[in-house]
Amino acid sequence: MLRWKYSRPLLALLLALLALAPLLGANPLSQPGLQQTMAVAFLWGGLALTYDLLFGFTGLLSFGHALYFATGVYVTCILINHEVVVWWLAGLISIAVSALLALLVGAASLRTSGITFAMVTLAFGEAGHVIIQRNFFNLTGGENGIALNADRIPSFFISVANTKFIYWAALAALIFTYAVIWWVTESSAGRVFAALRDNELRVQVLGLNTQRYKLLAFVISAALAALLGVVMLIAAGSAAPRFADAGVTISLLLMVVLGGAVTRWGAVIGGIFYSIATTRMQDLTQQESFKTIPKWIGGPIAEPALVLGLLFIFVVMFAPGGLSGAYYRLRLRAITKKSQ
Amino acid sequence: MDTFILIGITGIGLGALYFLIASGLSLIYGLMGVLNFAHGSFLTVGAFVGFWVASKMGFETSMPEFILAMIVGGLAAGLFALLIEQLLITRLYERHIDQALVTVGVSLVVGALLGGWFGNDLRMFPTPMWFLTAIDIGGAKIPADRIVYIATAVLLLVGNWALLKFTRIGLIIRAGVENRNMVNALGINVRRAFSTVFFLGGFAAGVGGVLVSVYSNGVSPLIAGTYLIYGFIVVVIGGMGSVPGSFVAAMMIGVIRQFANYYATGLGDFVVVILLAVVLLIRPQGLLGKVRA
Repeated sequence: MLRWKYSRPLLALLLALLALAPLLGANPLSQPGLQQTMAVAFLWGGLALTYDLLFGFTGLLSFGHALYFATGVYVTCILINHEVVVWWLAGLISIAVSALLALLVGAASLRTSGITFAMVTLAFGEAGHVIIQRNFFNLTGGENGIALNADRIPSFFISVANTKFIYWAALAALIFTYAVIWWVTESSAGRVFAALRDNELRVQVLGLNTQRYKLLAFVISAALAALLGVVMLIAAGSAAPRFADAGVTISLLLMVVLGGAVTRWGAVIGGIFYSIATTRMQDLTQQESFKTIPKWIGGPIAEPALVLGLLFIFVVMFAPGGLSGAYYRLRLRAITKKSQ
Repeated sequence: MDTFILIGITGIGLGALYFLIASGLSLIYGLMGVLNFAHGSFLTVGAFVGFWVASKMGFETSMPEFILAMIVGGLAAGLFALLIEQLLITRLYERHIDQALVTVGVSLVVGALLGGWFGNDLRMFPTPMWFLTAIDIGGAKIPADRIVYIATAVLLLVGNWALLKFTRIGLIIRAGVENRNMVNALGINVRRAFSTVFFLGGFAAGVGGVLVSVYSNGVSPLIAGTYLIYGFIVVVIGGMGSVPGSFVAAMMIGVIRQFANYYATGLGDFVVVILLAVVLLIRPQGLLGKVRA
């Protein structure tokens, strides 16, 4: 067994600490600023996990995952702002819409596989991005996006002093996503997903409908992404086209590869790390001492993409499996040494 | 009628730009199975080097100077592509997903470097004055630069065809697209063909980069964005590994997009994606693509 025997109790302890931290007097997590940063980081961790279900567990390299996340953000925001339904029902409807969209897009694009599938999902994802930017029927607000009408969501999500509720909502969404994906990947359908990744022909020979299982993974992952989108809408306070950009999906890919695919916790850590790293790096480059660095070095370093891109190339070339892969390799080495 | 011709030719001009990026993508994918996300960086590198050469000539370039800038930009992008291939792609031999991932990393790094050095604002590209004049075709006033795009794309298509048809390396590339393992088994070094294809793809993208920066009124690290995605769509519709297929698909998409944008404001991109879905449902291997064994 590669799992460390204390890992589960320690995880429970960590989660309890994270959940209670905003209440425990003066500590970094009682600051609204850090609560907001962590809330966004949790959501990215969850999103990376939904992407891992596709890319890591099922072997589907999708470049259009942002579409389903953005559907969650936009449909909820539009339904709330136009006073169609109450906020939580708007969220549920957006999740259903996202799942339906994934069903349609998935049915078309899963006719292809491998690299072609990547290109096709990219095209569909970008179509969504373009539609949002075009502002049809004045619904999506075009380039500027739309601000969420704060009067239509519960008051405990409003104002800086209440940031801890957003923090808890994000943590809850992450835990829920983790639980669902755990359940799915450990279920019999999850075994089929893994088999599809490893040897699709074999699954076909066994008489299973491979398309149906792939579509199932695609839809589950889209629905969960939409759920995280709903919470992101509340955390960000607005729906912006950047949520639908192909860059979002590429970031998710980076998170999963850096953290390590197929281990669940790897993707979550990757997402949290990536999110914090990009925000912290921007703060860092605003500082005075940074301006003393010559511009030809300082300029590129100020772009988080440089460090993350280099790190990413390094991991793909030399450390496949990312962070969690490296951890399990070390565990394996320690265990085999002990048993000798 | 003249509006019709104008939109049609503008569409073909746009299609020519798509072809310049898609031809390389298609060959690289057809021969090596690499989904090259770095192709947009090849385009940007070509645009910036071409811009550097052109701006040495002043605010305006003569036609030979512009062609020089285009060729130098193309060569720079080709060499850059070769470097990426040698340094990163060959080391991940046959690991297709990892190869695609590495090219994503390259595109991020190149974008960050260029963005950090030059900022993301558009810089005017010095072009020959007569690009701004209009040519009369069937009563329609066609901007002259559109003709340059189309001529360049046709030249590259013919050059590509001649190279693939009449040279030994072209023969190896064609055979490799058809059945790479067989070529390998016959004791022919396919690696040289890989490098050639990367260089040629980079060259075409670099030339395309110079033209794209003329079309979008300037150079910036962000110009490649939509062209790479359209390049992918063209490759899928035209058929992987088929350069003529890419040409046909690129022209088709350019024209359809322009017409849709004119008659149904802003719907161009949407129509293209619908077209992609339809092609996938009816002919998953693309217009001129072969079914892979």
